[in-house]
Amino acid sequence: MKSVFSPERIGWLLALIVAVLLPLVVGGYLTSILLLIAIWSIVAVSLNLLYGYTGQLSLGHSAFLGIGAYALGIIGVKLHIGFWPAFFAAIAISGLFGFLIGIPALKLRGPYFVLVTLGFAAIVGVIVLGWTQLTGGANGLAGVPRPTPIPLPFGKTLRFDSLLAMYYFTLFFLVLIALICHRLVRSLLGRTFVAISRDENLAEALGINTMQKKLISFTISALFSGVAGALYASYNSVISPDIAYFARGMDVLACLIVGGAGTMAGPMIGTFVMTAIPEALQIVPTLRTLINGFILLIFIIFLPTGIAGGFKALFARRRRSLSSGMGRNGIA
Amino acid sequence: MIELAQYLLNGISQGCVYVLLASGLTIIFGILNVPNFAQGHLYMVAAYLGFYMVMSYAMNYWLALVLATFALGILGLLVYFFVFYPIRNAPEVNLFVAAMALLMILEGGALFLFGTETKWFLIPWSRSVLSVGNLSLQVQRVIVIAGTTVVMLALWLFIKRTSLGAALEATAQHREGALLCGIKVSRISAMAFVVGTALAGIAGVLIGPAVLLEPTMGMGPLLVAFSAIIFGGLGSVAGAVLGSVILGVVESLASGYISATYNLAFVFAIMIIMLLFRPKGLFGKEVWRP
Repeated sequence: MKSVFSPERIGWLLALIVAVLLPLVVGGYLTSILLLIAIWSIVAVSLNLLYGYTGQLSLGHSAFLGIGAYALGIIGVKLHIGFWPAFFAAIAISGLFGFLIGIPALKLRGPYFVLVTLGFAAIVGVIVLGWTQLTGGANGLAGVPRPTPIPLPFGKTLRFDSLLAMYYFTLFFLVLIALICHRLVRSLLGRTFVAISRDENLAEALGINTMQKKLISFTISALFSGVAGALYASYNSVISPDIAYFARGMDVLACLIVGGAGTMAGPMIGTFVMTAIPEALQIVPTLRTLINGFILLIFIIFLPTGIAGGFKALFARRRRSLSSGMGRNGIA
Repeated sequence: MIELAQYLLNGISQGCVYVLLASGLTIIFGILNVPNFAQGHLYMVAAYLGFYMVMSYAMNYWLALVLATFALGILGLLVYFFVFYPIRNAPEVNLFVAAMALLMILEGGALFLFGTETKWFLIPWSRSVLSVGNLSLQVQRVIVIAGTTVVMLALWLFIKRTSLGAALEATAQHREGALLCGIKVSRISAMAFVVGTALAGIAGVLIGPAVLLEPTMGMGPLLVAFSAIIFGGLGSVAGAVLGSVILGVVESLASGYISATYNLAFVFAIMIIMLLFRPKGLFGKEVWRP
């Protein structure tokens, strides 16, 4: 039995407290960076469910990010529908696309699946750039709505017009999605995901409907990425085709692998490290892709389990006990 | 009718670029089982190399073609020994990720070194057009078709008529079997990588003067080349060649008759449909590996 206050839980609690209190101390600029870290963490967490736990490498998550962002933008700007219905519609649309793309794509394995996800991301990128009437083309869409105030009891309202409020709004979704993923991978469904990632043929032989389970994982992952896309669009209020550019999906994958795929903390650690370090060193944005690529390459060669996986291995060795870790330990 | 013939001709010349990329990809995939996502970016690097040799150092175009091809071959060797050789026993997903990291490094490096503005690769015959009857084609496009034919013939002779080529084919067919026959598989793998990247180099310098250069120019052709491989059947160079020409023609017809904006979308849609209904492609063997 784990005690209520296991070191792991205390760590999570401390991280949450820091995440809540930090923006109150630091200035607006750093808060906006924390907000972006939270948004990209959501994508990394959702990709982790698919790649880290279910073993399906998708290079197409920029597509779901773009679909979530553009769905909110188009519904909010062109159809003049209020924020909340548009927001939930955007999430549902990303999930629906995930489901529809997942059906053909997940029939394929290994390199074929990766290629179809990349091809899908490329199609979405082409459409976002090309369908000017709908998406604004290269100019993008401006005036994406911010969340409208929610009335609370006692005559108060929950407003989202400040940066801080937007940050907490995003953090709320990050915590919610991380919690859902945490419960999910420890459920029976999550165990079947892990079984599929370890050996898909064996899982199938054990009577797991692998296609159905992979589709569930893919749809949830797409839906959560759509949440991040919609949050990004709402925060930025302007969206450009860059959000749906395939390299965004690769950046997220780089964060996930550097942090540690198949671990709960990995995606968040990775996103934080990969965003905070270039920011602290004041590296020009044009160099980011180059440096991210190098970091990813070094990790995949020398520490494919990422930072979290490395720590896990270190502690496991110290305790001289078998690691009961979940996910694809040893596999990035 | 003349319109259709012109589109077919354009499609074939475009398809030739895909032929070079796709055959390189097929050779690398056959040996290492890695879809080399960086192939399109290697092609971009080669185009820029040729550009700087010709435009900045006033080098002869043909010399630049040879030098850039050699440079890409050496780059391929370095990539193999520093990236893919150390992780040859890792799960295949790690190899995919490594290939993707290479793509990021090449794209980021190109953005940093060459800038985002598009560049014209000008050679004496850049603007000349060859006309026969009512059909016309840029001279450089004719050179692309001729060059691709020569290179593919040379590749075919290399694989079928030399012992190194036979070793390459044997390793692609059965790795352990090749090892048992005394073939030095790791050397053959390195060679496959060198040949594959050199093919990307030839493609880049050949097409450079016919297109605009930009750091992202490799992504579209890469995806089409992958589609062509899947269309033709993975693991067969002949399938890759035929698939590339067909998809080049499809792209040209789609941009001519339907929409130039979405021509690539048609090509990817064909790839996805092909995967759904005939995953082994036109000439492929089994798709699933146990």
